[in-house]
Amino acid sequence: MIQALFIALSAFGLLMALGTVFARNLVNAALFLVAFFFVVACQFVLLEAEFMAAIQVLIYIGAVAVLLMFGIMLTRNIQGDETTIVSRQWRLLGVGVAGSVLIVLFLGINGFKPWTDLGVRPEFPVTAETTTERGQAIIAMTPTVGREMMTRYVVPFELAGLLLTAALVGAVVLAQYDNTDEKTASAEPPQVS
Amino acid sequence: MGSGLIIKDFLIFSPVIILTVWGLASLLLDLTILAGQESSARNRSLGLFTLLGLVGSLILCQYLAFDVIGPAPGKDARIFFGTLNGGLLYSQFASLVLLFAILVCCLSMVWSFTTHWGEYYAMLVWSALSMIVLVASEDLLTLFLSLETMTICLYLMTAMEKTKRRSAEAGLKYFVYGSVSSALFLFGLSLVYGQTGSTSIESIGRILSTTEKPGLSGNVAGGVAVLLIMVGFGFKISAVPFHQWAPDAYEGAPAPVAAWLASGSKLASLVAMVKVMGGALGSWAVTTSPTSPGWVGLLALISAATMTYGNFTALSQTNLKRLLAYSSISHAGYMLVGVIAVGISERREEAAAALFFYLVIYGLTTISGFALAAWIDRDRGSENVDDLNGLGRRHPYIGVAVCVLMLSMIGIPPTAGFFGKLYMFMEALNVGGADRVTMIGLVALGLFNSVVSAFYYIRILKAIFLRDSDKGDLRSMGPEIALPLFVGSVLTIFFGFRPATLLEDMEHISMSGLTFAQKADPDKSPNAAAVITPVILPIKPIANQQPAVSTPAQAKPAGN
Amino acid sequence: MSQQIPLTWFLYFAAASFAIGLMGVLMRRNAIGVLMAIEIMLNAANINFIAFWRYGDVPQGEGPLTGVMMALFVITIAAAEVAVGVGLILLCYRRWRVADVDEFDTLSG
Repeated sequence: MIQALFIALSAFGLLMALGTVFARNLVNAALFLVAFFFVVACQFVLLEAEFMAAIQVLIYIGAVAVLLMFGIMLTRNIQGDETTIVSRQWRLLGVGVAGSVLIVLFLGINGFKPWTDLGVRPEFPVTAETTTERGQAIIAMTPTVGREMMTRYVVPFELAGLLLTAALVGAVVLAQYDNTDEKTASAEPPQVS
Repeated sequence: MGSGLIIKDFLIFSPVIILTVWGLASLLLDLTILAGQESSARNRSLGLFTLLGLVGSLILCQYLAFDVIGPAPGKDARIFFGTLNGGLLYSQFASLVLLFAILVCCLSMVWSFTTHWGEYYAMLVWSALSMIVLVASEDLLTLFLSLETMTICLYLMTAMEKTKRRSAEAGLKYFVYGSVSSALFLFGLSLVYGQTGSTSIESIGRILSTTEKPGLSGNVAGGVAVLLIMVGFGFKISAVPFHQWAPDAYEGAPAPVAAWLASGSKLASLVAMVKVMGGALGSWAVTTSPTSPGWVGLLALISAATMTYGNFTALSQTNLKRLLAYSSISHAGYMLVGVIAVGISERREEAAAALFFYLVIYGLTTISGFALAAWIDRDRGSENVDDLNGLGRRHPYIGVAVCVLMLSMIGIPPTAGFFGKLYMFMEALNVGGADRVTMIGLVALGLFNSVVSAFYYIRILKAIFLRDSDKGDLRSMGPEIALPLFVGSVLTIFFGFRPATLLEDMEHISMSGLTFAQKADPDKSPNAAAVITPVILPIKPIANQQPAVSTPAQAKPAGN
Repeated sequence: MSQQIPLTWFLYFAAASFAIGLMGVLMRRNAIGVLMAIEIMLNAANINFIAFWRYGDVPQGEGPLTGVMMALFVITIAAAEVAVGVGLILLCYRRWRVADVDEFDTLSG
């Protein structure tokens, strides 16, 4: 039963991803992307990482997709809907490259014995009496994540904070409206080298 | 490797912490004390402030390098649970990155290409610190995170010259190419994680070298992983065919930012590449049989293409920054030869030392080259090679300095560039086995390309010395440009006469900091013995057992 | 009727998403479209990480949550990257009214 659920979910997810790539209207593409993010969150639940599913929804859908939508809205009228996809040759190249990457990856996944042997996940089902560290982590993931962040992963944690600060500051600086905007946009001709 | 967080780790990490705070302070200063001042005055104040922080951190790193509070510079110099290296590799490369940052900071004070100085210097300092963490990281998570922090800060710096269209265009192009390659790189990392279950570079190297069949035999997923990882690194060091962003980014970015891109980010990315390809994926390097190709072959192709394309395209460039961009691409090609040598040579530490030597010299000369471009850009607004006409007559000392730099880039003795190429190519030729032919071909191609590169470097010298200028003279240089230019040329001459001092330094660093996986040896019988011995070893020790084999075996019964 | 999903099924889904994202990168002209395709690729890698974490062995000395932490930091990095990307695109749009990746041709040669 759960296998049928997984197959249905994956098919739906791949359709949403295709919609993101092929939709002519960018707003529709962003909405397809939101649906894809949600499907990924469902996959995380199937993998018993509910914490990650919550984070996925919060950050990807709640922040990243919203930001993309703002970006689309603010740059809207400069481009007609028919120019969002490239010419025929690039389309063929795109499909060709993606198709060959897909085939090679499938072959690789099939050919690696330790992966194909894992039909059943270890420590399933995880109960509260589990003795392994990973089992305990699955039972109580949020406290474990917190503990790991403050011990083993303290440097990445702080560095991620710095990354977010830098991105925030930089994005504001770039996108802010200087009072010299109007003048420079009209006064300076595009430079041709 | 540390059972908890210890204060000593934070003390060793203190330069990075100081730099973080310094960047924040620079932002705050710009908003409070310096608000309302004119752009060039703020540039000067914030530049000097940042310089103070960088010099202070540099002194602190040197203090750490002399083993005062740090761990002994042996192989176990790890901090923070083994995710970071705390020894000589960290402190000395941090000093190098900070030296480059100091020179770039000086260059940034030359003219006001933007109004957002607090943010600019914050980005400079933060990108420097993420390069330091990148060089020191021993874990794929820290490596990827610091790589991304560095590149995001660099995207922002590239686009900061908001009055010029080419700057925004350069930033957007850099961003698009960079993000795509990061996504590809990450997928490769996920496949490697799947094969080993670990993200620590040392563990990955150990696990991959103890598989039953040597090398990549039949492991298509592993092959894809290596390919994707190479794409990611290839983009960062602008190797062909992932170089498309580089000429535009270097030309569009303000000259100090281009100098920083060419020196700092290449340095950090190449060291990370050596760690991952040589350390983690080292056992997949060599082609052990027709069914198990190693990554050496592909990297050799990339190196050859990069060298040749970079040099031949540079021949036709008229813009100085673009010419330097293509020259930087070709140098990346030469350095890839060094990376291959590290992957497959018997003398790995020495090969790594030679590569690092070349990196240092390359970084210094490139910054000086961009300093020249900055000088012209400041007064003329453009930087064509023709703008250099007649410079030698009016400023003879500068002419001599540039002459030294160009000779070093070609690789003519007695400059340090010659010794860099000499050491690196000699180490490449020290490789034995089936790949020797490839290496000989690469070295020959490298020498041929050096000869070709002479044509465009000499063209710069021709413009400086042999042509007359029809435009007015440039304003005097000022210490901000003079410092990088003369530091670069003086060090080039100094290391040209005494290359052994720098080479020994680099050897200490690579011996202390780099861990290499055992190479896959098709002659050695597979480590089936390690699998069997958990049963035998506790009962009956085998006298002639190699200690390296018994250690993982002893760990297994303890772990089960 | 099995109660278990094999590991390879998750890997196939991730690989297919990755390929679709790659196709989007090559085919989209608008910079925001390319950004969306990059997000698809990053999510595919995240699924890989979590699936490998759940199904794989934990080697000696590793923490219990390696894959989960990696995926968490990737989400953070993706968010920062999108912020910077949208900022850059707004800069290019506001001043020079261009959002098409192909239209940037002042730097050629």
